[in-house]
Amino acid sequence: MYRGILMRLSQAVPVLLIFSVMVFMLMHLLPGDPALAIAGPEASPEAVEAIREQLGLNRPLIVQLLEWFSHIAVGNFGESLTLKQSVVSAVAERLPVTLSLSMVSLLVTLPVGIGLGVVAAYWRNSWIDACVMVIALLGVSLPGFWVGILSVLYFSVSLGWFPPSGYMPLTEGGFWPWFSSLIQPAIVLALFQIGFLARITRSAMLDVLDQDFIRTARAKGVDEWTTVAKHAFRNTLIPVVTVLGITLSLLVGGSVVIEQVFALPGIGRLIVQGILNRDYPLVQGTMLLFGFAFVVINILVDIIYTFVDPRVRYG
Amino acid sequence: MTRWREGAGLAGALATLLVMVAAPVQAQTRGGAVTYAAAGGVGSLDPHVAAALVELEVIHHLFEPLIAMDESYNARPMLAAAVQVGADARRFRFTLRRGVKFHDGETMTSADVVASFQRYAAVSTNAALLDDVASYDVPDPSTFVVHLKSSNAVFLDMLKSPTYPLAILPASQKDQPGREIDVIGTGPFTLESWDKDRHLVLRRNEAYTHDRSAAGPDGLAGRKTVHLDAVRYDFVADPAARLAALQAGEADAAANLPPDAIRRLAERDDIAVLRIFPYCQLVFVTHAGHGPTTNPLVRQAIRAVVNVDDIVIASGQLARRNPSLTYPGSPYHTGELADASYDRRNPQEARALLQQAGYRGEKLVLQTNGTFSYMRDAILVLAGQLQQAGMATEVQLVDWMTNSANMRRGTGNWNVTATGFCTQPLLGPQQWRRQLFTHPHIREHAGLEAAYRQFFTSPGFAERQAAWRQIEGQLLDQAFIIKVADLGAVRAHHTRLHGMAPYFFQRFWNTWIN
Repeated sequence: MYRGILMRLSQAVPVLLIFSVMVFMLMHLLPGDPALAIAGPEASPEAVEAIREQLGLNRPLIVQLLEWFSHIAVGNFGESLTLKQSVVSAVAERLPVTLSLSMVSLLVTLPVGIGLGVVAAYWRNSWIDACVMVIALLGVSLPGFWVGILSVLYFSVSLGWFPPSGYMPLTEGGFWPWFSSLIQPAIVLALFQIGFLARITRSAMLDVLDQDFIRTARAKGVDEWTTVAKHAFRNTLIPVVTVLGITLSLLVGGSVVIEQVFALPGIGRLIVQGILNRDYPLVQGTMLLFGFAFVVINILVDIIYTFVDPRVRYG
Repeated sequence: MTRWREGAGLAGALATLLVMVAAPVQAQTRGGAVTYAAAGGVGSLDPHVAAALVELEVIHHLFEPLIAMDESYNARPMLAAAVQVGADARRFRFTLRRGVKFHDGETMTSADVVASFQRYAAVSTNAALLDDVASYDVPDPSTFVVHLKSSNAVFLDMLKSPTYPLAILPASQKDQPGREIDVIGTGPFTLESWDKDRHLVLRRNEAYTHDRSAAGPDGLAGRKTVHLDAVRYDFVADPAARLAALQAGEADAAANLPPDAIRRLAERDDIAVLRIFPYCQLVFVTHAGHGPTTNPLVRQAIRAVVNVDDIVIASGQLARRNPSLTYPGSPYHTGELADASYDRRNPQEARALLQQAGYRGEKLVLQTNGTFSYMRDAILVLAGQLQQAGMATEVQLVDWMTNSANMRRGTGNWNVTATGFCTQPLLGPQQWRRQLFTHPHIREHAGLEAAYRQFFTSPGFAERQAAWRQIEGQLLDQAFIIKVADLGAVRAHHTRLHGMAPYFFQRFWNTWIN
């Protein structure tokens, strides 16, 4: 297995290389100028040009790209143009927020999404199935920012249950303030994933429930709970784990919008600000770190396959 | 039909006036902390390179300049006790207020002032402000003299600018690069903590040196008294989230709310809404160096179709009609003099002008952005109005950075764009020049340059006013700029917070909690 993991890691190198070139090119293809953002609205053209010179933005693109690669090769992801701090420290400061949000959201998504999918499959074509599928459809269809605003208006403004915005670190306020600052955005973020996971789980479960070995188990008199939970559910895990990897990536991606709505100082907001300000090193470095994280997630998913299905072997 | 928020604006202004009149009789209690939902994160607290409103709001609590903006947006001494201007407007002698302390306990002297001016010239993106300086003199620790190479009758007005404020820093900061200073000013608050992306806390400066020559606060100048122990700025970029924070009691005051917040907060007795006028101006900028709009007749035809009411209603902003590029109340306000070019709503006139210009249906590119929805909506309405007059239009939607860069560089093949000018009309003609002359298609306009020369060298106000009338007349008549309306901002606060007055910048001195 170790050989398989090493092989996948080595395959990740060209993937990340191509990905980083794409991110670099896309950022530089965007119209707009970071020097203008730094200089402000009334700066003279000379002042803007001086900033461009200072930042090295007037050099050929290929020179800038090669310089960026040479820095990355020694672990230097560069310095943000607007924050005046290293990209790694900017990401490290905000990572706990996005990770906390994603983890809490995942903890909501997993039981609810899988549970709804199993329930819908077991009572297929019944009113329960129809209700679950409507909920799933709403989950994947409703835009997160809209649900977020409505949720704030009702649960924060009208009922006063949760703070409407902001983040309280675990180390500052303890568990409950941390949790209450996250649970509302986490649920909003989870809605899409729940819908997505419920539909996939239902589909996988329906396939398994029609298999001969399930019929055999029932014919042998195995009780229904054991048939569904042990025999059927375990065999749906391969597609579910695959989707879980995608879900984790989507959670991080989805947090870009949710962090804006709930004023959470996470990586999503960092990227949005970086793009709006054309902060090239910040966006490039953060995206590269994201890319690396997704590669790792996919490798983890591959490893989990071997536990879920002993027939899967690597190397 | 006009359905603006003007009536509501007047009512709000009256209510605010009543609050201000009533304020002095209330007990001004000392103590307490306030949470303010600010419109975004603060990236830097270096006044010499600061242009973003969210940063400036904080910076003006921490730092002070020699000359600041008063309540009417005119120049008033702040760290200077007096200023003597030479007869030729080339020598400015500042007598400093005595005993002013920095946050680190050191006393401010003329050495700090000259070091601040030198740093500004070296690092500020607005260093052009000091381009004309020939030399500085510091005859004694309380006197600072600036010698200019040529006459500048509005030099003090230029020094008052709250954007890129020429704040006085300790001399030890002189060689610090931009955005890398220690936050040590003379302001009424000190920086307690700053968690980037989350919040920033200011604490009362117990050693603050009041301007005892003033009876009370006056804009960003005057006698500032701090009653609050601390002010916490929470960075909340989304307007709806700021409104929710205020409604839920998480914030005591909130910056720039959506205009419909006025209606939504109407039933809340515990929340007061402030309508901030003047704030910004909505204008169309035409590209005089590209395509059909190179021809002034085409630009005038565009101006002729503009229906201000329709545009303002579509933009959904708090707005007031004003044909001028300065605000009512400004000594340079031209008012009805600018009427001839305002709100023409006359497609027939436009058709005649187009015929005269030899227009043959060339496409006009209207570029706008999705970042500021009011600009986008204004352009969409204008596109309809232009089509009615027979002009072919294409609307291009880009992001603000692209839109702004294209506008300032003249790139991007656009003909008309919408934008909001905020500090330029507030501060007067000298500030307009800096903005206008960044546009390559306007920069070398001989008529404007000659009028500006007259403006800067005329010692008498009447002559400067006449020069500004020439400048504004050319800008509007040639339709380089097409004025739409003055825009207001909406702020709100809990009624337990007192002393909150409408002003361009949110201030927390002379405010208190009951």
